[in-house]
Amino acid sequence: VPTARLALVAVGLVAAVALFLLVRPGGDDEPAVQPATTAPAETETAETEAETGTAPAATTAEPAETETEPAQTAPDPDAPVNVRLTFIDGRVQGGIQRPSVRQGRLVRIVVRADVADHVHLHGYDVMRNVAPGAPAQLQFRADIPGIFEIELEDRGIHLADLEVRP
Amino acid sequence: VSWVLAHGLGAVRDLPVPLWLFYYGAGLVLIVSFVALGALWKRPLLERHADGGRELPAGLRRVLLSRPLRIVLQTGSALLLLLVFLAALIGEDSVAANIAPTFVYVIFWVGLVVLVVLLGNVWPVLNPWRAVADFAAWLGGLGGVAWSAPARYPERLGRWPAAGGLFLFTALELCYPNSARPPTLALAIAIYSWLTWLGMAAFGREAWTQNGEAFSSYFSLLGRLSAFGARDDAEGRRTLVVRTPASTLARGGWKPGTVAFVTVMLGSVAFDGFSGTRFWQDRVFAVESPLALDSPGLANLAVTGLNLLGLLAGVAAVALIYLLAVEGARRAAGRSDSLADDFAGSLVPIAFAYALAHYFTLLVLQGQALWYLISDPFGRGWDLFGTASYRPVLDLLSPNTVWYVQVGALVVGHVLGLALAHDRAVALFRSPGKALRTQYAMLVLMVAYTVGGLWLLSTG
Repeated sequence: VPTARLALVAVGLVAAVALFLLVRPGGDDEPAVQPATTAPAETETAETEAETGTAPAATTAEPAETETEPAQTAPDPDAPVNVRLTFIDGRVQGGIQRPSVRQGRLVRIVVRADVADHVHLHGYDVMRNVAPGAPAQLQFRADIPGIFEIELEDRGIHLADLEVRP
Repeated sequence: VSWVLAHGLGAVRDLPVPLWLFYYGAGLVLIVSFVALGALWKRPLLERHADGGRELPAGLRRVLLSRPLRIVLQTGSALLLLLVFLAALIGEDSVAANIAPTFVYVIFWVGLVVLVVLLGNVWPVLNPWRAVADFAAWLGGLGGVAWSAPARYPERLGRWPAAGGLFLFTALELCYPNSARPPTLALAIAIYSWLTWLGMAAFGREAWTQNGEAFSSYFSLLGRLSAFGARDDAEGRRTLVVRTPASTLARGGWKPGTVAFVTVMLGSVAFDGFSGTRFWQDRVFAVESPLALDSPGLANLAVTGLNLLGLLAGVAAVALIYLLAVEGARRAAGRSDSLADDFAGSLVPIAFAYALAHYFTLLVLQGQALWYLISDPFGRGWDLFGTASYRPVLDLLSPNTVWYVQVGALVVGHVLGLALAHDRAVALFRSPGKALRTQYAMLVLMVAYTVGGLWLLSTG
């Protein structure tokens, strides 16, 4: 009887490994399927929000903005993905934004606010001053995957979550 | 400026586990559970090993249990508490540059858990509050003053004060937006120290440590997962043993309040995961944003209140599922008394799996900050050991590694939980048939916890 049980456990283990190899997407470098189909759309929301304001560096970067989705044609890694956030009357316009970018992309976050504060991107640890009429601009290479909070540092107000996908 | 990670330190989270891995993990859990039903044993195996195992080599035992080593460790630990408290009190008011937040929420709260599971429960010799109390008692003894505790610890209270203490600590960590700020930590350390010493003075050092002190219960329960343990031998001498990991969790007869304690362990980590979801963050935003500019204090209070409701709901949900399952097991076995206290041990591996899954990245990445923080603990620009300019390696873990560790921890925790619950059942009931019937309810419980935990990891 113990042999039968051990065999059962062994069969279970083999089945588990087989199932894993079966369902695991391709190679390691292939991106895992993300449940977040909404993420690229929300990047766009962030963009549309910003269109009411005068975007300082928007003209050159506009085409790159829609390319946060898995692109068929390899995106130019040096074309920055723009994320614009507006903080007026104590709230981020459009609620907490969740822009999503590919690892390795150049990201430019522009934050406009009607208060003086610091904009802090945690993890990457980029911090810039912001004041009425003087938007903060954070530019960096998104080389660490994860979800990173963007915060108005002094007031401790959560503005957005930047998702960097592998 | 430096790397600041999630949870008490707020702000960076793991990418959600991809859906395919979620389904794979959940499927694996179901397969494992059914294979387990067929492969289960008919007589208690784990519990039998609880008193077994081998003693460590005599030389090693002598060194590890020696008085000088204990004195060194206790002194070091008490000084460390003092250092962290002073840093929190008079150091720079910065979450990243001050050593206190990283030490409390990463090294102590997460790192020690891993250490205890690897090496056995080392907390009794590291407990700084106990060290200070022991020192005070020793000093008193020298001066001819013997303090005898004025009250007897009420047995029926059991671990309830510890469960309350753990709940308050997790409430501070997870609900209060400024939980990682050094002034908050200074106050928290002061209050906790004062309560602990008051408890020890009132009920005696040993009684309060065993029952009321939250972290002693925490590390003692988790330490049972380890292969190493300390116990008194037949002649009442303290000895160190290697034994089957988790075997002492297969015993019943837990103190009152143990179920509450373990559900706080599980429920708080579950809420930590849940509070990172879009759903919850949008709720927090809705509560916070109308107040954020004009009355930031009120906004903090509102957010704390909302989080507190969430934490309570998390703990209540975990407790409810457990109580329903043991009620199902009780009916299946036709018993008249509740079985709630009997299966508490089977939740401990799941609680550890939850903690590991959620805090693994925090420990590995933010833990590196200790290396430069020890050179400048107060955040004043010192460089005591020449390590102040060290920069942590932040791309140490690929998302794939993190996901496999998370799902692996939950699946292994699930298997251990099942094994412990089954072992307990065959120890309680003479007839294997009856034991097996009680296991259907426990199986549903374990699957609910594990798949729930996986779901939390996969929800962004």
